[in-house]
Amino acid sequence: MTMTTTIPADKNAGRKVALPWYERYINIVGPLVMIIALVIAMLIFERRYFEFQNMMIILQDAAIFMVLGMAMTIVITGKGIDLSIGAVAALSAVIMAMLIKDQGWPVYPAMLAGVVVGLTCGTINGLVITRLNVPDLLATLAMDQIYRGIGLVLAAGAVLARFPEPIPFLGRGRAFDLIPTAAIVGLIFLALGFVLYRYTWLGRYAIAIGGNREAAVLTGINIRRQKVYHYMLMGTCAAIAGILLTGRLNAIQATAGMGFALHTIAAVVVGGTALFGGRGSMFGTLVGVLLLAMVTNALVMLRFQFFWQLVASGIIIIASIGFYSYLQRRGNSDAKGDD
Amino acid sequence: MDVDLELYPGEVLAIVGDNGAGKSTLIKVLTGVYQADKGEIRIDGKTVQVRSRRDSIDAGIAAVYQNLGLVDSLPAPENVFLGVEPIKRIFGLPFIDNREMRERTIAILRDRVGVSLPNVDEPTRNFSGGQRQAVAIARAINAAELKVLVMDEPTAALGPEETRNTLNLIRAVKERGTSIILISHNLDHVFKVADRVQVMRGGRKAGVAVVANSTRRDVLGMIVGTDVDEDAHV
Repeated sequence: MTMTTTIPADKNAGRKVALPWYERYINIVGPLVMIIALVIAMLIFERRYFEFQNMMIILQDAAIFMVLGMAMTIVITGKGIDLSIGAVAALSAVIMAMLIKDQGWPVYPAMLAGVVVGLTCGTINGLVITRLNVPDLLATLAMDQIYRGIGLVLAAGAVLARFPEPIPFLGRGRAFDLIPTAAIVGLIFLALGFVLYRYTWLGRYAIAIGGNREAAVLTGINIRRQKVYHYMLMGTCAAIAGILLTGRLNAIQATAGMGFALHTIAAVVVGGTALFGGRGSMFGTLVGVLLLAMVTNALVMLRFQFFWQLVASGIIIIASIGFYSYLQRRGNSDAKGDD
Repeated sequence: MDVDLELYPGEVLAIVGDNGAGKSTLIKVLTGVYQADKGEIRIDGKTVQVRSRRDSIDAGIAAVYQNLGLVDSLPAPENVFLGVEPIKRIFGLPFIDNREMRERTIAILRDRVGVSLPNVDEPTRNFSGGQRQAVAIARAINAAELKVLVMDEPTAALGPEETRNTLNLIRAVKERGTSIILISHNLDHVFKVADRVQVMRGGRKAGVAVVANSTRRDVLGMIVGTDVDEDAHV
């Protein structure tokens, strides 16, 4: 009879030192600290910030980025990035809008067509990256121009406005006259993303591809195919974000959605998803999205110019990534005993 | 290169030899990375065709490489079942059955590897070297109806404590019925765990020694190809 031995998790014997207790919560510690700081600041400067209606406005602003952030979390976990999402959102929304306004399509088929456009754009992104071996960053940057250009050509400078329900209801309506519908859509997408991430091969293989590409290959995971799936999901979510955006203003133009990519990437990374893949969190993305929306809202309320919002979101991105890099460096140098 | 290799059920066969002696090539042929020009592989008397990694796994041969190939951010069960996750269908949709995966991982570690990991649910990044080794072995065992486990320099990058854990691990896996081919540079480690030692030199089999009846000097003599005097330093 043989005995089972327990191998101790000797901290010093490990290849890398186990990070401290907060490692488990690392993806939300940073943004939670910032949220608390923000809450304290607003308690001092502007109590109206905490009124229920304002909270609902924050949720409304965050909603689009919940949808985008869900897919982006999976894309980034798989060591990808998608800079074309703003153009994809605009293009699919413009096509949906033109089908309704110019072609007289009923609303639901037009919405479906918009989603198909997004899915197609995402598929093209994935194929360009995996079949032509163009790096994710450059491929989607170039595709951003292409999608934006096509959108501009199609819309020819027009602003399409006033859409039938359910588009305005989805974009700016309130469910039960209380909670923004868009936020409910966003939360449903994040919940779906949580399930995809934790309970399906899509999320599991994204982690493997981003974390250890060779290991993923050796276990027989088809990396190309998985990456195409990531971009297909991203394109689909961008189209849905485009519908929400259209409904929110009840108008759409081909220049809409500029800055979506950086804002979404910021929220995802602030939420603790590793920018270079292998680790991520849907819950972290929710926290990141809310943080960015809260900061923007606070700046508006404190009557800062719009341009300061850009400065603030830039600072938040740099601060968060710097914070994670610092923790990572510390973890590594402890283990190696150098620098 | 012209080599033969015999492995008995439930033994640890060490393969030693200088750099370039052909150890790695031999192993790559066994695991389907390279194809042999001629010759055959027989397991339990049956000839098997090994033309790819998949063939080798189907034949019951799996390898644990030096870098182990673990995904650091995933816990042990996710690593052991990576690519072969058990599926539970809910409304016809396939979901990964994380609970079953965890239970089966613990069972494999207990019954086939002979260890229990107190931190099985933590990312393997937090694991010690011996624990990581155990997870990699469990994955190899899980991948196949495993008959032969090939370990390529498992102790090369480890400190003394971790080396001891790994050698214990090799003994434990063997005691549970898996034959092991151990590639190593370190005769001390080889003599601690191996039953027989096959020496490679210049792409050929220079000889086989039964550990119980040999000294390090005998083996060292075969590695360098001459008799070695008493003072020779290993």
